[in-house]
Amino acid sequence: MSEVDMAVIKPEMMKSYIWLQTADGSIQQVEQEVAMFCPMICHEVIQKGMGSSKNYAISLPQRVNPAMLSLILDYCRFHQVPGRSNKERKSFDEKFIRMDTKRLCELTSAADSLQLKPLVDLTSRALARIIEGKSPEEIREIFHLPDDLTEEEKLEPLKNTTDDPRIRLLNRLYAKKRKELKERQKLKNIEVEEERVDDRSVDDLLSFINGDNGDSKGIKNSKSKKKNRRRKDQQKNTSANEAIKNHNKEPNGLNQVCHSAEVGQKVRAGVGATSNLHDVKDDIFDNKNELDDGDIDDEIDPALKEKIDREVEDFARRLNSDWPERMQEILSFGHERKPVHFSLNGNGSLRRYANSEQR
Amino acid sequence: MQKEMAYSFPDEVLKHVFSFIQSDKDRNAVSLVCKSWYEIERWCRRKVFIGNCYAVSPRMVIRRFPEVRSIELKGKPHFADFNLVPDGWGGYVLQWIAEMAGAYPWLGEIRLKRMVVTDESLELIAKSFKNFKVLVLFSCEGFSTDGLAAIAASCKNLRELDLRESEVDDLSGHWLAQFPETCTSLVSLNISCLGSDEVSFSALERLVDRCPNLRSLQLNRAVTLDKIANILRRAPQLVDFGTGNYAAELQPDVFSNLAGAFSSCKELKSLSGFWDVVPAYLPALYSICPRLTSLNLSYATIQSPDLIKLVSHCPRLQRLLVLDYVEDSGLEELASSCKDLQELRVFPSDPFGVEPNVSLTEQGLVAVSLGCPKLQSVLYFCRRMSNAALVTIAQNCPNLTRFRLCIIEPKTPDYLTLEPLDAGFGAIVEHCKDLRRLSLSGLLTDHVFEYIGTYGKKLEMLSVAFAGDSDLGLHHVLSGCESLRKLEIRDCPFGDKALLANAAKLETMRSLWMSSCAVSFGACKLLGQKMPKLNVEVIDETEPPDSRPESYPVDKLYIYRSVAGPRFDMPPFVWSMDEAVKILH
Repeated sequence: MSEVDMAVIKPEMMKSYIWLQTADGSIQQVEQEVAMFCPMICHEVIQKGMGSSKNYAISLPQRVNPAMLSLILDYCRFHQVPGRSNKERKSFDEKFIRMDTKRLCELTSAADSLQLKPLVDLTSRALARIIEGKSPEEIREIFHLPDDLTEEEKLEPLKNTTDDPRIRLLNRLYAKKRKELKERQKLKNIEVEEERVDDRSVDDLLSFINGDNGDSKGIKNSKSKKKNRRRKDQQKNTSANEAIKNHNKEPNGLNQVCHSAEVGQKVRAGVGATSNLHDVKDDIFDNKNELDDGDIDDEIDPALKEKIDREVEDFARRLNSDWPERMQEILSFGHERKPVHFSLNGNGSLRRYANSEQR
Repeated sequence: MQKEMAYSFPDEVLKHVFSFIQSDKDRNAVSLVCKSWYEIERWCRRKVFIGNCYAVSPRMVIRRFPEVRSIELKGKPHFADFNLVPDGWGGYVLQWIAEMAGAYPWLGEIRLKRMVVTDESLELIAKSFKNFKVLVLFSCEGFSTDGLAAIAASCKNLRELDLRESEVDDLSGHWLAQFPETCTSLVSLNISCLGSDEVSFSALERLVDRCPNLRSLQLNRAVTLDKIANILRRAPQLVDFGTGNYAAELQPDVFSNLAGAFSSCKELKSLSGFWDVVPAYLPALYSICPRLTSLNLSYATIQSPDLIKLVSHCPRLQRLLVLDYVEDSGLEELASSCKDLQELRVFPSDPFGVEPNVSLTEQGLVAVSLGCPKLQSVLYFCRRMSNAALVTIAQNCPNLTRFRLCIIEPKTPDYLTLEPLDAGFGAIVEHCKDLRRLSLSGLLTDHVFEYIGTYGKKLEMLSVAFAGDSDLGLHHVLSGCESLRKLEIRDCPFGDKALLANAAKLETMRSLWMSSCAVSFGACKLLGQKMPKLNVEVIDETEPPDSRPESYPVDKLYIYRSVAGPRFDMPPFVWSMDEAVKILH
């Protein structure tokens, strides 16, 4: 009969201890019932007869350092007591798990090597909660992981590129224009004009940058918003209520009949480019001070305003250099006279795709 | 060394941690952390959600995620619901099923939305996946009851069959009888979209009888009121029930039978169906009303007084879908009775009428916003609105996540001031910081888009019609809305400039739809050329866009990011602007 068996049979005679050795060489003894709560230790004791004395201390896996062992034993000491309620255990777990991420990782690893499943679950869930809701960058930072994925491996959205200074600049200039026009409006008291004048000025700005005549097309449609999802059995029903079978779609559109009838009636309102070009140029170069207090931009903090002001100056400088070309690269739809891309087949209709079976 | 040890795990441990991370967004983030996490994650990914079936090819998904058990795919753009996407546009699921049949023998769940599903696809599903459990066909089309029969017959452990809002060709009502007698696993069955001849009621009764775990059952319109009691008595464990027809001549014994059947359903929390309601039968529901959390009366033509009575019995209501017969008075009652309300949808009973047929105005919504502090999701059809009302709603409900307002007549101004509704919607985006979805209507200028671009930082989906003055409107949205994923626009004066200046933004979104706007064919071509990761598709049913000058606006434009390149199943009226496509012929 081994020492361990004796201890089990006569608990009142002696409190049995299991001897454990961590990777750093230090050895400690732990109450038997606490240590045996770990399956790995249990296995070593029962199958291999280890742990009964200092010389035969159980060598714990490398991932279990003294600090982690201490934590794990705390966990075991609590949970190995049979009489506890679920509520008590849950409460203990919630407090137990509160530690920094580094220790949590170490603990998960250690618990796993000791095959202590309940603790592995507890720590894994806690780690999952840390990871949830975070971006890849944040997760990398928390766990000190390398950023080693290639673009190809990332089937994910690209970074949002709305930080483009040109775009912010356009916003700024527009805001300034709006403010000016509002002031003019107060003097002239013309309401409707404001919108259109606004439009033209900024269009001019863009076309000035672009170098072509911006011809903004406004398509006016007087189609009413009528919508009806086609369902074959709607034809069977005549009452208006019946017709709205699938109305849990928004009817902000029109039915097919209306649409096709109006196809030929699209009105293109060309907004002529008035010659405000010089005014605009002056605005950019001379009136930088006024850019500080647009009523639209009240929310922008001073630091950002300064930054944008600097960008405006930058913009002004670049306007004289290569800006038109660079902008053209982006907005060059009007300039590039590309050949027609699609070949026409015999009867003049367009071939759209490679699959030759269709049509 | 210590640092390395601290943060590295054996793969098994990391896998275990990942098993507690289930949301698609989080799994995607995890997979992008680093090479080793990417590898581990892809092997233990069991569920994949693909918001645009053309964004990636089946082969790529299979290659990356070899152990998938559940897949969700969406096909047509949302505006297909409004007949803006012509028939035959695409969204075919067959190729997906065929590829997955070989690669995922253990695939158990397929959820599809707005896709074309043929009988062949259904038969392939039935044949290929031995452990098939869940089939959800939401707003799909292209199949008949023959396909359903194949599913019923072959899927031994089917748990869920949900056909909501799909279009099904009725060939025979006997497909339900194809469920073998040994099938007892059904948990959810939604056949509400089927026509009259498509359901054999006796087969349905037997099926319900032998499925003790059935929790959710939505009948179709053909099932008459007198049959409801029979079904309910066979399934008192139901949590979610959709009636068929709720109309019959009032007969005391039928009424008491019905009332008794309802009261025996102690778990019932959600009701729907209610085609053709006879109000006298509504009190049969009173016994379960106190437990109801969801009520869908969007087909029920019951008038305000009856609705008020019903709603006043439902203090725990969290979700209400109703026709505008509810009127302002009904909504005021709702506001005072249902303090837990989270979602409200009010549909128009007569959207094509010129004059209002009911007394439903902005006041109803204002009342609800005041009385229901937990309101998060709104879909509201009405005929008039004011900036003041919108500002009030915004201030009362800062927790709104979805706000869809549909003023029926396009370009309707604030009825009090005759001004555009810019300020009202501006207040919505400003106060509702968690707003994820927004639909605009009424008279709107570029200013509203400026507000949206400034405040709508969490906005993911925006629907716009008949609004704005110039390209600046679109520019504000594309440059300001950082979280934007889906943008759908119709009949707005947005042209090339904003689109081209913000081309890079389009790669961060799922899709952009623009119809009856001012985007030129030349701009579309340029986008297609410059942006290889975008599929730029022009839809024109009248003539090829190439037969007109490049500056001519295209009819419809659908742009979506894709790693699969241009698709090859385009119908004659869809043109791809991709360079590669032109080379191939």
